[in-house]
Amino acid sequence: MKFSLVVYSAPHAGESAATALRFAQAVARQGHQLLRVFFYADGVHNGSALPAPPQDEQNLLRPWQLLQRETGVELVVCIAAAQRRGVLSQSEAKRLERPAANLAEGFELGGLGQLADASAHSDRLVTFGGPA
Amino acid sequence: MALHIVNQSPYRSSALNDCLAAMAGGDALLLIEDAVYAAGMTPAALPMEKPIPAETYCLKADAKARGVSVSEKIPQIDDDHWVTLCVQHTPIVSWF
Amino acid sequence: MSLQTLILCRRAPYGSALAREGLEAALASAAMDQIPDLLFSGDGIFQLLDNQAPEEIQQKSLLRNLQALPLFGVERIHICQQSLNRRGIGVDAIALPGLELTLVEDTGALIARYQHVLSF
Repeated sequence: MKFSLVVYSAPHAGESAATALRFAQAVARQGHQLLRVFFYADGVHNGSALPAPPQDEQNLLRPWQLLQRETGVELVVCIAAAQRRGVLSQSEAKRLERPAANLAEGFELGGLGQLADASAHSDRLVTFGGPA
Repeated sequence: MALHIVNQSPYRSSALNDCLAAMAGGDALLLIEDAVYAAGMTPAALPMEKPIPAETYCLKADAKARGVSVSEKIPQIDDDHWVTLCVQHTPIVSWF
Repeated sequence: MSLQTLILCRRAPYGSALAREGLEAALASAAMDQIPDLLFSGDGIFQLLDNQAPEEIQQKSLLRNLQALPLFGVERIHICQQSLNRRGIGVDAIALPGLELTLVEDTGALIARYQHVLSF
């Protein structure tokens, strides 16, 4: 069965982004296809390479990247939501004349059409929302 | 039948009450994150306006993490079982 | 055969970015010829109120996004009757030209008709 996930929460903001990661890992473990994880609203922060949490705290970035390499799941960061919040690829940083790019390896920027497309082409769509 | 997923404490947020008001007969409910406080042993202290449905589950790791003693009527499941519930139900509706 | 996608809007405007971002997702989907249905429920019905003046707090109007829905082929929206009642709001407080307003008594039955529900 084909699954897509939608994530609205930043990695450090609460439990929701971590829950989404654990669920995604379970989907892969069960042999289902993970088509796409769409990071939207504050969820775009999951695609930033810059957070530097203390060593003894959870870091979600590496496990997302590992899951992407192992399963080929598309980690799509909504470009409009990301521009607002400052998650930029090299080309976006250049185009918008910002001093740095921070989109992490394994993640890609994509339009909201990718969310509609995930909805159309997945058997199951699961939303992971935060409190905001 | 739908699977409804709630992640907010019933004391803080209307998410669970809104969810219960929008459930159809036969739908399943999964309590995750802070919503596991709604799975506690003392139903009389819970603020829900409607009873939770017969098919209600609770994410075990979230309950254990918070030290919640879960009512024996509510099965505690792991992430793999959650995926199975998603396969068995459609649509999946999140309340947060 | 179930309908494709229901977008569930439960956030009040301006206080939560998800209200705007939900409508933007609905518009983007419709622009791709995947016309979603929308259900406004809980505090989401506050998005529909007339007389919003968000320029007072330097925000863009959400009503403009709502008014754009018919241009993209969304002809009607569903509104939770119980949410209106609980907030003491009459349907006459909602004026959205070009959109048919469908009041929903049985939300569970509505949700059951869809393959996906995308919550905001």
